[in-house]
Amino acid sequence: MPRVETTLVHAHGIAALVTLLLSISFGIIAAFQLLYPDLGAGVSWLSWGRVRYSHTQGIMLGWLGNAFLAFLYHAVPILSGRPVTSVALGRWLFALWNFAVMLPGWVLVLSGVSQPLEWAEFPLVVDGFVVIALVMAAVQFLPPFFTRGLEYLYVSSWYIIGALVFTLLSYPMGNIAPEFVAGAAGAAFSGLWIHDAVGLFVTPLALAILYYVIPAVTRRPIYSHFLSMLGFWLLFFLYPLNGTHHYVFSVIPMSAQLTAITASALLGVTVVIVVANLVLSMRGAGFLPRDPGLRFVAASTWFYLIVSIQGSMQAQMAVNQTVHFTDWVVGHSHLAMLGFASFAAAGGLVHAWQRIPWARYNARAIDVGYWLVVAGLVLMVVDLTAAGLMQGRLWASGAPWSESVQASRPYWIVRAHGAALLLGAGFISFFVGLTTGARGGGLAAIEHGAGVEAAGHVASRLAPVLERVS
Amino acid sequence: MSASPGKAVRYAYLVACVAGVLFFVMSVGLLGVWPKQVIDAQTAAMSPAHPLGLSASALRGRAIYGREGCGYCHTQQIRYLHTDMSRFGAPTLAWETRFDYPHQWGTRRIGPDLSRVAGTRSADLHFAHLFAPRSVVAHSVMPAYRGLFDGAADRPRQGARDLLAYLETLGRAREIAGPEGEAHARAGCNCPDDEMLQMAFEGAVNAHSARTRREGDVPALPPSTDLERGRRLFGDHCVTCHGETGEGDGPGAAALRPKPGTLVEHAYTDARLAEVLWHGVAGTAMPAWRDHPPADLAAIAVAVKALRADRPEPALPAELQELGARVYAANCVQCHGEQGDGRGTAAAQLTMAPSSFRDQRPSLDHALRVLRNGVDGTPMAPWTGRLGAPEIMAVAHHVRSFYEGGTR
Repeated sequence: MPRVETTLVHAHGIAALVTLLLSISFGIIAAFQLLYPDLGAGVSWLSWGRVRYSHTQGIMLGWLGNAFLAFLYHAVPILSGRPVTSVALGRWLFALWNFAVMLPGWVLVLSGVSQPLEWAEFPLVVDGFVVIALVMAAVQFLPPFFTRGLEYLYVSSWYIIGALVFTLLSYPMGNIAPEFVAGAAGAAFSGLWIHDAVGLFVTPLALAILYYVIPAVTRRPIYSHFLSMLGFWLLFFLYPLNGTHHYVFSVIPMSAQLTAITASALLGVTVVIVVANLVLSMRGAGFLPRDPGLRFVAASTWFYLIVSIQGSMQAQMAVNQTVHFTDWVVGHSHLAMLGFASFAAAGGLVHAWQRIPWARYNARAIDVGYWLVVAGLVLMVVDLTAAGLMQGRLWASGAPWSESVQASRPYWIVRAHGAALLLGAGFISFFVGLTTGARGGGLAAIEHGAGVEAAGHVASRLAPVLERVS
Repeated sequence: MSASPGKAVRYAYLVACVAGVLFFVMSVGLLGVWPKQVIDAQTAAMSPAHPLGLSASALRGRAIYGREGCGYCHTQQIRYLHTDMSRFGAPTLAWETRFDYPHQWGTRRIGPDLSRVAGTRSADLHFAHLFAPRSVVAHSVMPAYRGLFDGAADRPRQGARDLLAYLETLGRAREIAGPEGEAHARAGCNCPDDEMLQMAFEGAVNAHSARTRREGDVPALPPSTDLERGRRLFGDHCVTCHGETGEGDGPGAAALRPKPGTLVEHAYTDARLAEVLWHGVAGTAMPAWRDHPPADLAAIAVAVKALRADRPEPALPAELQELGARVYAANCVQCHGEQGDGRGTAAAQLTMAPSSFRDQRPSLDHALRVLRNGVDGTPMAPWTGRLGAPEIMAVAHHVRSFYEGGTR
């Protein structure tokens, strides 16, 4: 019986929740600063650019990074039938990720030491620690999978392996290359990373969670192992080829742009395959599953479909020329990082949390959090998409620039006063859901459980539904 | 199915694993390394022979630009699209970015693109805008970077000077290269069939609508009587510097040298207002407003004229008439011209064109103030050391006599 290190699940979970609240606070401040630009004026660390850097780095590395690690500590032993490599390594990884990456990263960015590259704003010195941590994560989680043959690996295991290997490859390329490759050529590398960060780090780990939680909760094997593998390989082949679609109509060679645009369209098709498999696997669970973990996962699945089709569309030249540089893209990235990735991470975290016998659990707060976040996200994406279309039209009309700024204000009011506050309240509620309530409340809340189902005992029961070949 | 899928599946996965890594390598090759080769070759072929690097100050300014996240609201990439080009200028060529470590292309454009911002705004306007953006651009949402200043917009610290030095490099290289540079780049590109790259050589290199022009054709403003709209637009765009009543005392005025025009003290011809709105006033913070529809500019002109207080002006005593003409001919014609049209022999040497009195008439009070105090930030010096009180009074009357705009 493999041992699940619940202490590490819990530690990374708490770190995820704390960094989540900090990261969205940065986002909310940035949203309000567009309405009240003198908010924080004179306080250099509160200036818009630094807050904006802290928001996205915090979401990607702090919240999603920690939530993914928490999930890995829960799922890897169950998926592989082996414990993770070392508890001591786990403690070092936790310390490194939070106190050598997140904390100094934020402090440095806020005090004005950063690199102005999207999804890579933490300075080079912090990047070094990220790479060390990624190596440690690979050592921690990969060996358990290789004790049996590849053919036994379930799709979640594949996604975990893929994420750990390819993030290690792409992170240095995106974070370091543009510092040494000037201008347009550097932008080409930067574009690759902007997409690889989402496609090779966030997406595979989120999909690992979706593919894991669905059968674990429904207790039925997924609809098709074949489709799961098809989707996995197509995603890993296509994602890296998307990067240049961030710089359409630029001086980067047109054939590279066209490659990325084509790959973007194909990626949309692939995601339809993946999502179809996930949705079919959830058949019978209803559109709003009662299990909170599965409910987050179900929402994540639908958001994944929408954001991917939207992404394929906006990479096309006819759409891109209007929406590029506008708030449409900001809406898109929130649909991806919040709707898809954060809902998956939240689902995985709740699922693992329920199975820690001593973890606090407040089902009502989690429910409230779910609905607030759904409402906030939908409001935000609709609002910013409309804002983007308006901005694109005004720019094309030749109207004075200031008109597009003035016309954005109502949309920014909705985003800040409506969406951002809903999201803030929702995530606070989510935080409360996992830090208050009775110890072991999660275990009691599992409906089908009928008895003890702590993490250590789940493995044998889940084996039939998670086995690659059944 | 059997319990073990067997060797075939294992090999299939191994092949896929290798393919997965190869696809990643291919992505870096196809979308990173190969574009770099093309871009490097393009840069070598199209760049001026001796490209101007960034000064130490500009490099420090670039670091400030990076640390404050300027690039997250301002792009530095003009796309190969006519909508971008008509607003900002020629699309970004590879060689223009060759010193950008790291690139600052950006993906969001809340404020305007800055690729060609060099030479589009005066230094004092930049400083006023960095120190307190809304003091000069009413609807700006830009943060105030007060930390770069020593308490006031006209007391920039080194950081503000560095940032300005950096901004003044953006687009500079291509403008300095001039028509010869464009021809060289075009020849180096050798791409007559590449529709996209050909766009790089269409139209003006810098198309910023706010950029001032010393001269050039000015389309006549359509007739307008829309005072209400004019007042609203004046409130949106002009009061920050010129003030509510046109006294030139808006919140942004404090840092500007020369001070914004005192509209209330001047009578302007329609042609002069059209010229100022269309071209801006070179050498001052007054930008051009070419991006606004002519009907709006006409309405603003109506509002500006309405600001002037109609008050009786004292007539010039007859005995001073001839004195005024003599003093003017002896001291003023070099800049302001014999005809008072601002086209004196020295005018072309001056950054700011000397006032033309034919199309703008100061009030007597204003003319006297200028003669006594000079105009800070321009070559117009105080004349009290050289001219006596009667002479100043005479010439103040004289310059008013050039006006061709009738009573208003």
